[in-house]
Amino acid sequence: MSAVPNPWNIRQLLASTQVLVPGDTVPQVFWNAVAMRGDRVWMREKDLGIWQTWTWRRAAESVREITMGLASLGFEPGECASILANTVVEWVLVDLGVLSAGGVCNGIYPTDSDAQVEYLCTDSGTSVLFVEDEEQLDKALAVRDRLPNLRWIVVFDMDGLRRFSDPMVLSLEALREQGREFDRTHPGDFDRRVASRGHEALAILIYTSGTTGKPKGAMHSHAGLVYSMRHLDRFLPQNESDERMCALPLCHVAERLMGAYASIYSGAVLNFVESPETIPENVREIAPTVFFAVPRVWEKFYSAVTISVQESSKLQQRAYRWAIGVGRQWAGCVLDCRPVGVPLALRFRLARLLVLDNVRKAIGIHRARVLGTGAAPISPDLVRWYLALGVPMLEGWGQTESCVLGTWTRPERIKPGSIGQAVDGAEVKVDPVTSELLIRGPNVFMGYLNQPEKTAETIDAEGWLHTGDVGTMDEEGFFRITDRMKDIIITAGGKNITPSELENQLKFSPYITDAVVIGDRRPYLVALIMIDQDNVEKFAQDHDVPFSNYTSLTRAQAVLDLIEQEVSRVNAQFARVEQIKTFRLIEQRLTAEDEELTPTMKLKRQFVHKKYADLIESMYQRG
Amino acid sequence: MPDPLLTLANVESAYGPVRAIRGVSLSVPPASIVAVLGANGAGKTTILKTISGIIDPQKGSVHFKGEAIHGMDPAGIVRRGLCHVPEGREVFPMLSVLDNLMMGAYTRTDRDGVRRDLEQVFGYFPILKERAKQQAGLLSGGQQQMLAISRAIMGQPELMLLDEPSLGLSPKLTREIFDIVVRINRERGTTLLLVEQNAAIALEVADYGYVLEVGRIVMEDTCERLREKEDIREFYLGMKDAGARGERRWKRKKTWR
Repeated sequence: MSAVPNPWNIRQLLASTQVLVPGDTVPQVFWNAVAMRGDRVWMREKDLGIWQTWTWRRAAESVREITMGLASLGFEPGECASILANTVVEWVLVDLGVLSAGGVCNGIYPTDSDAQVEYLCTDSGTSVLFVEDEEQLDKALAVRDRLPNLRWIVVFDMDGLRRFSDPMVLSLEALREQGREFDRTHPGDFDRRVASRGHEALAILIYTSGTTGKPKGAMHSHAGLVYSMRHLDRFLPQNESDERMCALPLCHVAERLMGAYASIYSGAVLNFVESPETIPENVREIAPTVFFAVPRVWEKFYSAVTISVQESSKLQQRAYRWAIGVGRQWAGCVLDCRPVGVPLALRFRLARLLVLDNVRKAIGIHRARVLGTGAAPISPDLVRWYLALGVPMLEGWGQTESCVLGTWTRPERIKPGSIGQAVDGAEVKVDPVTSELLIRGPNVFMGYLNQPEKTAETIDAEGWLHTGDVGTMDEEGFFRITDRMKDIIITAGGKNITPSELENQLKFSPYITDAVVIGDRRPYLVALIMIDQDNVEKFAQDHDVPFSNYTSLTRAQAVLDLIEQEVSRVNAQFARVEQIKTFRLIEQRLTAEDEELTPTMKLKRQFVHKKYADLIESMYQRG
Repeated sequence: MPDPLLTLANVESAYGPVRAIRGVSLSVPPASIVAVLGANGAGKTTILKTISGIIDPQKGSVHFKGEAIHGMDPAGIVRRGLCHVPEGREVFPMLSVLDNLMMGAYTRTDRDGVRRDLEQVFGYFPILKERAKQQAGLLSGGQQQMLAISRAIMGQPELMLLDEPSLGLSPKLTREIFDIVVRINRERGTTLLLVEQNAAIALEVADYGYVLEVGRIVMEDTCERLREKEDIREFYLGMKDAGARGERRWKRKKTWR
């Protein structure tokens, strides 16, 4: 007798292929969803510390008011509106309002500088700019003189602006008021607006961060978005009883599609975090049932658990080690598709009861049916750790230009280190010459706004999207990414090295947040490392390493030794020529506002190369 | 650089379960003025209390003149040449001004030296001489602050800890007291560790500064350079760029660089 070969409840993870909500454009899908779901809860946000709900009906009222408000401002179909805000309910409402009004919607990262806001508004031809609050408004006001297209600025949150008045600025409240009035005096206009844009029309712009050169605006049509919404649900099925967490920037394709639009389509409840800093607390409150996040988030949870285990008593540490060991054995069976024997199944049940379930609760994933990861490479060891907790973690790969469709891991066959198989609805293949991964399907974007040459470089004559990722496919159809094409390092010795493998291993350390491996046309590999402030501070405190501020922490010999150890641990897994010879720590604490980091807090390789050129050079000058 | 007179390494102190300072390391070179800046509840006073032995650190070490003094009896620390001017003055209200000053000299046996110091103190603060016979409790707040500082001087310390000397004083009086504080440092060679919320004046008189936020040091530098830092200007000196609207209410994120 043996337990079920596949332990996660696959039935819950199996998707239907039928269309859940009809509609050919995003607004059509939304309005149909509203008609179907009416008084059900759609979104939750925290207001003054209490969770407030938005039913579909209430949200729909607001969207309609925003739509008609835009119409009253003379916003015509095909015009572009931009949103400069954190991940808040209004973002989603305005997005749908703009699309319902026939407009094109573009998101701007709230961490972007004045100059970036100016560039994005100019490039997209924004005529109405929505800003979250006073802080974001100041950016808009600082650059508006150079934005001839900009006619209106709409502010979500008027705190601190009571005494401010400007002919160009109005509050979202006022816009909705105007919309209500306009709707009453212009019957039938609303329906005309919603129907104004066809299937093939441009719907949204998503600017790619552009590690080199200026950001490029990827254009997505309604057709592509609706196609992706439907196919998303096939690999990450969810429904009205699911709780999701909305935390990543909505300007990013991952949260926009896998979060907001997936929820419009499936009806899963969207719970908004209070701010990017409160994610760990909010996860525990929300306890999402379907949880997609970027590797950075998964790394953070893991290192928090690792550190608290180190702080716990000897008995607890031993219990944890035993339980996670049992979990790993059990996950091993699952990964190899071997039956889990009764003794192991029983031990695993005990391990869950005593330890693993508590770990899951401490993170906030105790209700999770499925965890998803993507948008950046993740260490296979980290995936195995989550599997050992008994939660399926599925890795996917896609990009802005492919409207997130690409590959996904199926729960019945997880191969850590692989990004899964091509999703239903998109073709994926490896270019036989360059080994670049290519994607084809209706999900592929329309091109880059104002940059036809760049578009031609990206989509070839046969419609294949050149992703810039290099990888392989095995006989079962599983893809693996080796690296970004332009990131592959060829050392002076002629050895091809994929830095992301080393970097992922480094990031697995609780003391390292991010790392960039360097060595292209160089005699050996070196690394720039960003430490995890909380954990390294704790280490310093526990080991009586004196430090005052962040910089002095990165200069402390004991900290350098600690990171050295972590680097050696990683080096041990690689061949001699692939090892990191030396490293430097980034001595400044970086925040999302810094250009070195992407809004998802990852180091930008090209930028780091330039900015830290001297530091990098110093690693090659030891004779 | 000469050996520091005082060094704190990874000091953690707590009031029961509440950890007030979470790993503070700082050093005070001889004959300098060092300032610790921070908001309410940042842990400034706790640092001073930990140094003078009023509370014992849970972790870390305090070295004064090369000797570990953490966990030592406060009286023993005073005898080693370290005097604490507490927050809120804490003069002995029923004793006369003179008696208060003599209490400061309690540990000393060199009567000539005491007399000389008394003269010097009266030189710094003539009002104390005028009111020498009155009860200290009858002095105004500013005078009590003068008395508290003077009482510490009478202990002939090498290092004086000053806890918020500007508390509750008018700007004019604050300025006067700080002028004297600088003179004490220059004329007597007394090293000063100063804790202040009034960042403007502290950064003006001190040589080196530490910025404390929720129990941790987030920034350290010479006061000259600290004054130029954007975060210090905005959050401690109240100077900020008004932005496009001429009034800005939102706060930047602190980066401490």
